[in-house]
This record gives sequence, structure tokens and C-alpha cells, in this order.
Amino acid sequence: MATYLLRRLLLGCVTLVAITVVVYGLARSMPGNPLTAQLGEDPSRKVSAADYERMQRAYGLDRSWPEGYLQWAGNLLRGDLGRSITRKQPVTTLIGERLGPTLLVSGTAFLLIWMLAIPLGLYASARAGTVDERGVSLVLYALYSFPTFVAALLLQIVFSVWSKGTAWELPLFGMTSLPPDAPLAARIVDVARHMILPVVCQTYVSLAYDTRFIRATMAEAVRQDYIRTARAKGAGPWRVLVRHAFRNTLIPLVTLLGLSLPALVGGSIIIEQIFTWPGMGRLFFESIRERDYPTIMGLTLMFSVLTLLGQLLADLLYSAVDPRVSVE
Amino acid sequence: MPLFLPRHPHGPAGWRCLLAAGVAVAVVGCGRSEKPRLVAEPESPAAPVMPPEPGPAAPAEATFLPPSLADLDRDAKWIDRPVKQGLAVLREQQAKEPVLASVAEALALRNDSPEANAKILSALGRLPEPGAADSSARLDRHVTGDLSSTNPILISSSAEFDILGLTGFGLFSFDRALEPFASAETVVSWQTSADGLYDRIVMRDDLVWSDGTPITAHDIAFTYRVIMDPRVPVPAVRSGTDQLKGVHAYDDHTLVFFHKEPLATNIWNINFPVLPRHIYASTWEEDPTLKDSPEHVALEEKPVCGGPYEILARKRGQEIVLRRRDNWSTFQGKVVREPPYFRDVRFRIIEDPNTALLALKSGEIDEMILQPEQWTTQTVDDGFYELNTKATAPEWVSFHFAWNIDEPFFADRRVRRAMSYAFDHDRMLEKICLGLYQPCAGNFPPGSWMAGTKPLVPYKQDLDKAETLLDEAGWSDHDNDGIRDKEIDGQLVPFEFTMLVNQQPFRIAICTLLKENLEQIGVIVNVRPVEVTALQEMMQKRTFQACLSGWGSGTDPDTSENIWKTGEMRNYSGYSNPEVDRLFAEGRRELDRSRRGEKYARIQEILYDDQPYTWLFWRNSFYGFSKSLRGYVFSPRGPFHYSPGSGSLWKPRAE
Repeated sequence: MATYLLRRLLLGCVTLVAITVVVYGLARSMPGNPLTAQLGEDPSRKVSAADYERMQRAYGLDRSWPEGYLQWAGNLLRGDLGRSITRKQPVTTLIGERLGPTLLVSGTAFLLIWMLAIPLGLYASARAGTVDERGVSLVLYALYSFPTFVAALLLQIVFSVWSKGTAWELPLFGMTSLPPDAPLAARIVDVARHMILPVVCQTYVSLAYDTRFIRATMAEAVRQDYIRTARAKGAGPWRVLVRHAFRNTLIPLVTLLGLSLPALVGGSIIIEQIFTWPGMGRLFFESIRERDYPTIMGLTLMFSVLTLLGQLLADLLYSAVDPRVSVE
Repeated sequence: MPLFLPRHPHGPAGWRCLLAAGVAVAVVGCGRSEKPRLVAEPESPAAPVMPPEPGPAAPAEATFLPPSLADLDRDAKWIDRPVKQGLAVLREQQAKEPVLASVAEALALRNDSPEANAKILSALGRLPEPGAADSSARLDRHVTGDLSSTNPILISSSAEFDILGLTGFGLFSFDRALEPFASAETVVSWQTSADGLYDRIVMRDDLVWSDGTPITAHDIAFTYRVIMDPRVPVPAVRSGTDQLKGVHAYDDHTLVFFHKEPLATNIWNINFPVLPRHIYASTWEEDPTLKDSPEHVALEEKPVCGGPYEILARKRGQEIVLRRRDNWSTFQGKVVREPPYFRDVRFRIIEDPNTALLALKSGEIDEMILQPEQWTTQTVDDGFYELNTKATAPEWVSFHFAWNIDEPFFADRRVRRAMSYAFDHDRMLEKICLGLYQPCAGNFPPGSWMAGTKPLVPYKQDLDKAETLLDEAGWSDHDNDGIRDKEIDGQLVPFEFTMLVNQQPFRIAICTLLKENLEQIGVIVNVRPVEVTALQEMMQKRTFQACLSGWGSGTDPDTSENIWKTGEMRNYSGYSNPEVDRLFAEGRRELDRSRRGEKYARIQEILYDDQPYTWLFWRNSFYGFSKSLRGYVFSPRGPFHYSPGSGSLWKPRAE
């Protein structure tokens, strides 16, 4: 086990280096730099050539990208992710500020998705071919194909504009409406109310996808011989479904769960933008637009680490869900 | 309220067409010609020499030794300059304007015609009668992005300038006609020497920072020295102050700005944000970046403010709440300045324009910039007019096709004029711009003092003329393949070029119209939408053939020099004309407004003839306002970026 973990960690480090080199190289190769975005548009900003060069030096833009990468990596080894060029804050602070709000929405949506997707998927499998299963499938397909930005706008109109002044009213945007010195309980309720619409938007597409995924893997499993055997031995339909079929679909499900880990902290650009939610998706999008290399790299590093951890976790869980799999 | 000239006007997300800032000065009675002299050299050897300002190490340029005030007074002929209060100026102007409708009539109107627009602005844009404003009200403003910094000299975005306008301390401002003045809220007197080399300010003695420390002339002199230090990363702010020889505080209230040259643009150079010296003098040396040290990090959250408001609360990515400062309007128990109308101003950050419109409709914000499509289709129903109204006004922002003159296609002026004649301007204005914008023919706004008295005639589509011009320039269809071509360096080059454009559908539609127009005369255009930063990079490096872009015209025409002067940073077209270069240089040194205007009008005529751009349209400001809001008055910079600007907004007291 320890050898396996060590091997995986070493492999993970190599992968991380490869990912960060490629991403840094690509980011630095994109047309423009942070100064292009900051200074290039305003004719009143007559920055002298000397000042421009000074700023380039200050931001390390005068160095080639391999040199820049080595400096970034060196700082990283000393525990310094650098400072955002456009936001003038340490990248770790920026990520720290956005992590909580992102996890609030993504984590809640993640729990909801799996709490709903598994029973719905099992139900659809149990009722395969019936009218209600077709109905559920139809709704799920409809949800899956419904654009998030349209759904968000509709939900805003219904629950924030039309329902204004009623018990159904929900906040239109933002994370909180109360001042920081409001009572804790009131602030929790306030944030929870602000979360509802973003969580709904983040949940429904994945819910549709994951339910269909479970339904599809279950359809494969229920055709297996061991299911026929279980039924022949007199096991009830739900027991066959849950104990015999579902357990055998856990490996692909665990893979999917592992891959969901980076998405948990990645946030959603569209949802965060529409609901003005101060999450990671907006930060990543803005940092790319602004060519804010330290922030791009800090976020890339975090997403990469989480992806690798998610895969490692999934691999470890394989042995837990399937005794035939060993991590040795 | 003091006003710093924001570099970023409001604009559609993604595109950042920016208003160049700068204010021209008409020097009253400047008839005497004096040879500029170095103020670093005292006139009399016996004259006392003032020590340099205490504080940070000064750059080489700032180490000059200022003459004594007595010497200055002896040698300089001082000319009084205007000291005004923005609200009073507006009040006087409004007193002379006819009222076109009552408030009730205006609130019942739908803004579907220029007449209705004029009535809405006339009735709802007025300042309150005494006691009519609700002094406990809150204004909920909309901004599209969060602050990167609250430090006055580090700011750069539109939202930051909006907030600095309310929290920052300044000595100068300008009215809605963009005429500069010293702010009576902070200044007792402003004088300029007849030779244009000095500006002397006497500050009021009843000014304090938000922490109660007096604001003095030493704060301004200190800030100048910080800005000029190359270790401080503020090159854009330095672009005006680097034209100064120095700034010296002779006492707590007397300040002199020493100019290198007597320029018409000197007023712009002395209008910069101010830092509290008592805060930064002790932290600055250790951290010249002004952002890294724990002290500076803490100041970002709770800055010491010199304007009428201070930052009360800030939720990153969501909102910034400002609270009116009592010690701005009162001093030692007496009311010394007119307090702002709102107790609180809350800036709500909403990036998505649809969400912002819903927020306006549901009463969560009091104002927002409307996109043209929002103006025409989404703000016409009862749902919008239940709580809101809207208004529009011309803005000094124009759009154009820029031709890269280094490309073989556009080196010939006849070809560029052919492009302008080939384009269907009327169709663009009617079908794509939905009749909302005015045609643009040149780089200076029509009717402005720098545009001259002879208005330019906007180009109209004339395909015959375009074809004739192309034929004359040698671009004919020599190989009969339907595409014009020309022999260049022994090779037949087809007239096919790429038009770069930002990814917004509106702009792509304009380029597509050009493509269709040029196809009719045998010219092929490939329209290539590009991400905004990539587009800027290609323009700056001049690796493009043609592109659609826009500029905000500055309040001073000198700010456009770096768009047109040979070899300048933003001369993306690669335009070069010695006469234009000379006229810009002369214009900056000409202190007489009318003679100055003639020079810029001539520049515009030359550019019109040369067509380095095909000018397209002037963009309007479109705003949605809550019906509870009053006092919005538009300038060519929109309703906020002048004095009083947002300071004129108010809400009526409940009946």
C-alpha cells in the first residue's frame, strides 16, 4: 500500500510539473500580457517606454517563459504562489476568499446531485420501460438540454421579480444582503436563501447526467448472469437491484465521483457571473482575460492537484467497493 | 466634490473604449509673452531657499530647490483662476434652463422620442429645492466589477474611479461643459502665473481626513513625490505629473506647482489623487509598492479618506458601502460645506447585464448603464416603467475601422477613401445601430471647441466613386477573376484582407456589412472575431491589416496626440503626417483657446482627407434610473464623471 501510494505520489508530481509547464507556456504564449489589458486602451495613459520596461521587469514579463516558469516553480517550492498582478493581492489570499463561497454552492449541489441521482437512477432502472420511467427520462433529457443561463434567468424572473413581496421571494444576486454585524443565525439563513437559485442551477444539469449515467450502467448490470442467478434464488426486485446490480456499478460511479473533485472547487463561470456569486469560476475566467499569470497558475495548480487526488482517491476506493481490486 | 479624470468610462462589457482624460485651460488675459525660466535657480542669491519636502527620497526631477514665496510673488504676475462649487455651478445653469415638464408628467412619460427624453431630463435632472432631498436616503449604484485597490494612486478601473470620486481628496474639477475650476470645497484661491509656469493654490483650513487629521498642502507635495518615485508602480498616474518640475508646500495651506513648460494642458498635470502623508510617510519607505506590507494590506480594507464619503463596509465581489463623513461637512461644530445628499452610497457589483436589468426592475439598484438592445427592447414595457425611467445623451465615444497604412492595401490614401465610400453608413446606422447613434466623420466631437466651425460631412456610400478611386490607385481586376488586384514587387496581389473585431455580435455585424459592401466592388474581406486582449496586442504590435475599434475623445484634444503623431504608442494605423505632428506640438503650447481650436480643427480636416480611419458613429450614453432618483444631468462623459456628477443625484423626502 505504502509503495503504491509513494509511486502514485511521485507520478503525480511528474504529472503536475508537466501540467504546469504546459499551462504556463500556453498562458505566456497567448497574445497580450497584463500590461496590454491595463494600459493598452486609454489614450490618456501615456506610459513612457522606460516606465513600460520597468513594469515589465517588475512583473517578470521581460523574461522568457521558461525562465518565468522556473522562477514561479522556485517560489512555489518556498510556499509562495505569488501575487496577482491585476488584483494586487497574494494569490493564496484570493483563492482563500473564493474557496468558501465556491464550496458552499458546489458542495451543496454535489450532495443534492448524488442524493437525488442514485434513487432516481435506481427507480428508473426498476421501472424500465414503464410510462413513469419514460416520463422521468423525458424530464431528465429536457433538463440536460436546457441551457443554464436561460434557466437562471427564468428562475430569477419567477422567484426574484414576480414573487417579490411574497413568501416565495428569493434574492436576485449576491451572497448576502445583511451587514457583517448581523446575528449569526440571521446571516446563515440569509446566505442559505441566496444559495438556493445558484444551487438549483448547478444541480439540475449534473443531476440529469448522473441519473442517466446510473440508469445506463444499471441497464448493463441487470443483464448479467449473476442477476439472473440472484433472481432465480428468490431475491426480491429491490434487493437484486441494490445489493446485486448497483454494487457492481460502483466502479464507474467512483471514477465519476473522483473526477468531480476538481469541479467542486472549480465553480461555474456562468452561474457565478449571473448570480454575482464570488466564486472560483469567475476568478479563473477573469484572470485569463487579464493575463494574470500568477493567478492562472495558482488556480491551475490547485485544480491539477485536486484532479490527481480525485483519481488517487477513486483508485483507492476501487478496492473498497470491489474486493477483486487490490492496490498492491 | 473633487474629481479625478477617470480613464475608464462605462462601456459594454468586454469592450473598453476609454475616454481620454485631460482638461484644457484657457488662460485669461495671457497676452504677455515671457521667456520660460528655471525656477530651480533662485532669482536672488540672497533669497531664502526652501528646503525640500520632508518624506520619501525624491527622484532627480523633484530635487529642485523652489524659490521662496516672496521671490515668486515678486517675479510672477498672478492671474486669478476660477474657484467654484460644482453644485452651485449646476444650480446656476439650471436656473437659466426652461423646465419642459413637471415631475409628475416626466414620471408618466415613456422615453420613446427625443422630445420625451428632453422632458425627462429637464424635469427629473433638476437639483432639489432646500429641504426637499431625503438626507437619510441610500443610493444603490451599479458597477460591473470589484475594486483592485482602494489606494487613490493605484486605481485604474471604472468602478475604482467612481468610488474615488466620492472618497478621494482633490483640488480641481470640471463642470458638465468640461471647463476646469478649482473646487471651492477644498480651495480658497487658485492663481496661475502669467507666464504659465506656476500654479498657486491656497487651501482651506477646515479640511480633515476621515481619521480627523488635518489635510494640508504637505499631503499634496508628499503625494507628488511618491508618484514620481520610480519604485512606485504607478506609471499611468505619473504620465501627467512627469511634466512638472516640482510641487512645494510653503505652509500648511499654500502650495505651488512648478511646470517645466507653459502648456495648455498643465491643468491636467496638477490634478492627481492625494494620499494622507501622516499615514504613508511612515509606511512608504519600507514598502514602496504600497500594497505588500501588512500596514498597506490593512489600509486597502479601511483607507483613510479625504472626500465626502468613507468606506463603511466591503464584501469582496459583491458590494462596497460608503458612508457620508460628518467631518467633511462640519468643522469644529460648524457646517462648512454642503453635505452630500445621500447618507450611504452602496455600489453593487453585478457583472451580468441581464441580472443588472432585473435588479433595476425589482428596485435593488437605482441606476445602470443600458446596452443598446436593452434600451430598444427590454425597457419598453410596463414592467420597466413601473419603478424606473430611462434617459440618453450624446457621449464623446466614437467607433471606426482602422486601416494599417503599412499594409500594401492601405498605404494609398485613395484606397482608404474608397473603403469609406464603399461602406453603407446609412444601413449601419439604421439597421445595426437601430437609429440610436449619430454618424461620425472625424476624431473630434461635432460642436466641441476643437472640432472647428466647419462641420465635416460624414461619408455616404458611393460605390462608383469607390471603384474609381480603387482604379486610380491601381487596384483593378487584371486577371478577370472578379477580385481586384495589383502588381506589387512583380507579383499580382489580390485585394483580400482580414478585418479584426472584438467578439461582440454588434461589431461583427458592422464588419460583415463592410464585407458585403466590398464584395460588390471586387474586394474580399475576411472578418475575424478576436478576444479583446488579443486584439489589443495585435493593434499595439501592428500585426493587423484592418480592425474595428473605438476611442473616447478626451476633454482635451492633446490626449489624442499619441493616436496620430508619428511613431506614437497608440498610432495603430501607422499614420504619419509632419503637419499633424507640428500642429499637435503647437496646440499644446498655444494658451489661447480659439487659436488652439483652429489648430485642432485643421488636424481634423487633414485626417478627414487622409482617412486613416473610416469613422462610423458617435455612441450615446443610455441609462436606466429609478423613479425615486432625481438630479441626473449628462455631460459628454456621461452623468457621473464630471462635477458635480454623481453628487447631484438625490431622492425626494417622503411626503
